[in-house]
Amino acid sequence: MPRVLVIIPAYNESETIAAVIVNLQRHAPEYDILVVDDGSRDNTAAAASAFPNVQLVRLPYNLGIGGAMQTGYKFACRNGYDVAVQCDADGQHPVDRIKDLVGHVIAGSADILIGSRYVANTGYTPSVSRRVGKSILSRAVDAIVGAGITDTTSGFRAANRRVIKAFAENYPEDYPEAEALVLLHKAGLKAAELPVEMLPRQGGRTSISPKNAAYYMVKVGLAIFINVFRRNGRTSEKV
Amino acid sequence: MPEAAQIGFQPAHRIGLLIVSLLLVGLVLELVRRRRFKERYALLWLAASGFVLLVGLVPSLVVWFAGILHVQFLTVFFALSFIFLLGLVLSFSVVISQLSDQNRELAQEVGLLENRISRLEKNDGG
Repeated sequence: MPRVLVIIPAYNESETIAAVIVNLQRHAPEYDILVVDDGSRDNTAAAASAFPNVQLVRLPYNLGIGGAMQTGYKFACRNGYDVAVQCDADGQHPVDRIKDLVGHVIAGSADILIGSRYVANTGYTPSVSRRVGKSILSRAVDAIVGAGITDTTSGFRAANRRVIKAFAENYPEDYPEAEALVLLHKAGLKAAELPVEMLPRQGGRTSISPKNAAYYMVKVGLAIFINVFRRNGRTSEKV
Repeated sequence: MPEAAQIGFQPAHRIGLLIVSLLLVGLVLELVRRRRFKERYALLWLAASGFVLLVGLVPSLVVWFAGILHVQFLTVFFALSFIFLLGLVLSFSVVISQLSDQNRELAQEVGLLENRISRLEKNDGG
């Protein structure tokens, strides 16, 4: 029986985190859950520690989504998990589809499986500007990765051991999803996607404000561009 | 070699430059003495203040250089200062990036270790 860890990075998500955990434990009771509290100022850590079977890692200060997610991958790597699943704490990810993602990874159809919003019939309608930005970015990333991924920014993904190890060593800092795929591609790992229906966020606030959207595009674009010219990503760190 | 005075470099300018460079050298040495600097930055700043001192002592060096480039004395002086500061700021960006990487790893390590301690404590108690 493969061991599966669900990584939930959380920054000020006390409103929704408990519901996400309850939902996960209902749909996938055999999976372990790790909440990475990214220096929240609200009761996120307390809400998570109310569940005795949920692992909690509290970062001493806010590292941003990349640093928090990588903490989860380091945890998965050190504790010998076979599959790690990324799941948002705001309830947008369809937890009932988690076993489909994990199943494909265990079956070996890809090293990382992405739950995609843009494949037909998913009912997800982001704002126009975000849609345009993300589709440009998705195309750029897909042009490099060449795996036919339509939603490179989706944070709902399941990864096998090889990806866990790669991400534990090296993970992008902010807005990491698209860049992470380029890193995997350079490491010779295979990505695939599965259509899923995303839900509206259940509470809290999005980390990408319109103000940050331009920075997001430029930063990720640059990071991806530079990554193409790197041999093996950044110098690897000790895991 | 044109004389410094010919291009408007007065003795008063020279004295001003000497005073500034001496103050700079003194400040840098004092900061090193109080261990406020890492040695590598101390050397950098000592070199910079040494350059200002040199210009104050032998302005004709810069005048000669300005003559080669067909520009004014001050242009050379400011251009060199600008290049120095640019290099310094670039090196700071590199250092800050390294520090923030190390900082991130440290924070992750603290979080993971705390989790491990609380798991060990739970096992001890139960």
